[in-house]
Amino acid sequence: MRILVVEDDALVADAIRRGLETAGYAVDRVESAEHATGALAAEAFDLAIVDIGLPGIDGLSLLQRLRRDGLALPVLILTARDGLADRVNALDLGADDYLVKPFALPELVARCRALIRRSRSAASAQLAIGPLVLDLGAHRVIVGDSEVELTRREWAVLECLALNAGRVVAKDRLLQAIANWDAEIGANAIEVYVSRVRSKLGNSVPIRTVRGIGYRLDESAR
Amino acid sequence: MKAHAEARVISIKWRLLGLLLVPLSLLLGIGLFIDYRTGADSIGGVYDRTLGETALAIAAHLRDANGDGHIDFDLPPQAIAALRSRGSDTVAYAVRRFDGSLVDGDAALDFSLPTGEQTQLFDARLRGKPVRVAVRAAQIDRTPLVVAVAVSTHQRDSALRRILASIVLTDLAQLLGTLALVWIGVRHGLRPLRSLGEEIAQRSARDLAPLHDGAVPAEVRPLVHTLNALFDTVRGAARAQQQFIADAAHQLRTPLSGIIAQLEVLEREPVSPTVRQRLQALHGACKRLAHTAHQLLTLARSEPSATTHEDFGRVDLEPLVAEMVAHNLDRALDAGLDLGAECAPAQVMGNPWLLRELLGNLVDNALAYTPRGGRVTIRCGRDGASVWLEVEDDGPGIDPAWREQVRERFVRLPGSPGSGCGLGLAIVDEIARAHEADFRLDSGSGGRGTRVRVNFCNN
Repeated sequence: MRILVVEDDALVADAIRRGLETAGYAVDRVESAEHATGALAAEAFDLAIVDIGLPGIDGLSLLQRLRRDGLALPVLILTARDGLADRVNALDLGADDYLVKPFALPELVARCRALIRRSRSAASAQLAIGPLVLDLGAHRVIVGDSEVELTRREWAVLECLALNAGRVVAKDRLLQAIANWDAEIGANAIEVYVSRVRSKLGNSVPIRTVRGIGYRLDESAR
Repeated sequence: MKAHAEARVISIKWRLLGLLLVPLSLLLGIGLFIDYRTGADSIGGVYDRTLGETALAIAAHLRDANGDGHIDFDLPPQAIAALRSRGSDTVAYAVRRFDGSLVDGDAALDFSLPTGEQTQLFDARLRGKPVRVAVRAAQIDRTPLVVAVAVSTHQRDSALRRILASIVLTDLAQLLGTLALVWIGVRHGLRPLRSLGEEIAQRSARDLAPLHDGAVPAEVRPLVHTLNALFDTVRGAARAQQQFIADAAHQLRTPLSGIIAQLEVLEREPVSPTVRQRLQALHGACKRLAHTAHQLLTLARSEPSATTHEDFGRVDLEPLVAEMVAHNLDRALDAGLDLGAECAPAQVMGNPWLLRELLGNLVDNALAYTPRGGRVTIRCGRDGASVWLEVEDDGPGIDPAWREQVRERFVRLPGSPGSGCGLGLAIVDEIARAHEADFRLDSGSGGRGTRVRVNFCNN
């Protein structure tokens, strides 16, 4: 798996490269948007990490250009600026995630892993989170080596959580995922479906309740 | 000092009123006097003419019937009686020779005519009563006579009083009407100034939008333009400060993030335990430095001089709380804390970035001070017009004696964990103030822990 790092600061770029290489990724680093465009045109990458504050053409302009050229690879934006507008801007322009410097290296690696997994699941229709494997096309669920039977609503809940593994999913969003199947479901029903999914999947797949907000499927047992 | 200055400067309204009313009242007073004089003179003239005619009529009825110098009055008694009373006035007459001897009439009426004069009119007193007297020369068959007629002044005086009353009443009404018109005119004329003053008074100190100069009179426009130029300068300064903070943040964060990331890489490499220990200490110090730099920049950014109303908009608190829980969930799990939320829909007018920092600092404190196994809850909602945001924990709580001091910069509670820089609540205080919100530190439910509540009243 190959990641392009577009970062002009040598110290930061070097640390990112080392962190990602330790985690098993191949890393190429360029210092400017111009070089990034060339690299992306020449070779296939699974992810780009783009710093906003690049000399010359900035990171947001690069992102805009990539999306305009039809490049769909996931992009993680890095910034040393803390304005909320930048963040909203970046996400609007097609960034998949956003991290403010200084960041913790393990968090950067975790986010990269989640972004790559999501983009690959879209391509292969398969999603793997620890012992859990979801076949998104056939709606099959495998934990370890045994298949688990889920109802349509239970599947909708699990799919929504798995596609956002590591992120908190609000109850409202789960409700919408279920409501696609048919109408009139109370908010309390979500708890029922989540608890059924939990009991069917067992402890190896931790679905965490986030009090007052929603649920999170953890990427690894804590 | 201020009171003195205010006492000496007279308001425009009173100045205008003074300048208009004093001369107007004087003019009206003079008018009143002239009107009265004119009225009195014409009435006096009418009465005098009648009196003169009476004297003439008396003279016309004197006869020297026998031609011996003995003068007779040839009027019948009824005519004399008619002559003697005129309405409520009484008339007295006397006819004398030039030597003063009485020919006929009232002996008490004794006035002579200066030589050479034909008639004379004057005020006098007859038996103690005020009278108007006409004295006239007459010649009856070569005998020169003096005819004096006196009439009491009741009717004339009451006519004068009536005239005076009517003139004074109309002139007073005119004066009062003018006063009222001037008052209304001045108030109305100054309304643009007053409404400009009110507009400025109602603005929040952070509202630096230019004042609208379309509706103000030409005289006030230079003032509005000067104010707008001032607002513009302040806005420019705020923008420059924000830009400086943003640049400073960028310049500080980039090398710090390089150092921190490099230390994280180094810590994972096979090094001796002492080196690892030193690396970890360095790593911790760098993280604290990064945190302090961020807090200082946040504080600078939340200060009134750096925030303007242009960055304010409607902010939904619910998603903000959800984001804050999601962002801090792993940290809470690592610390063995139950982090959750209880939210109702609530919106405030605010700066989303600053509100995020406000809530972030409150959650940060709660997570840092609550021991393992504790519970931290973020809440938001609205009570009538007031919207609130709250963070409650069941940690050790803040001693009431410290609740005011902890709002100050760099003040840390005794026995605090080592990571903070003592700016968190100062930032919360500053941001709350920027949102015209008040911020309270209390004990949590059941008297345990800490509850920090921010009340937004500007909705």
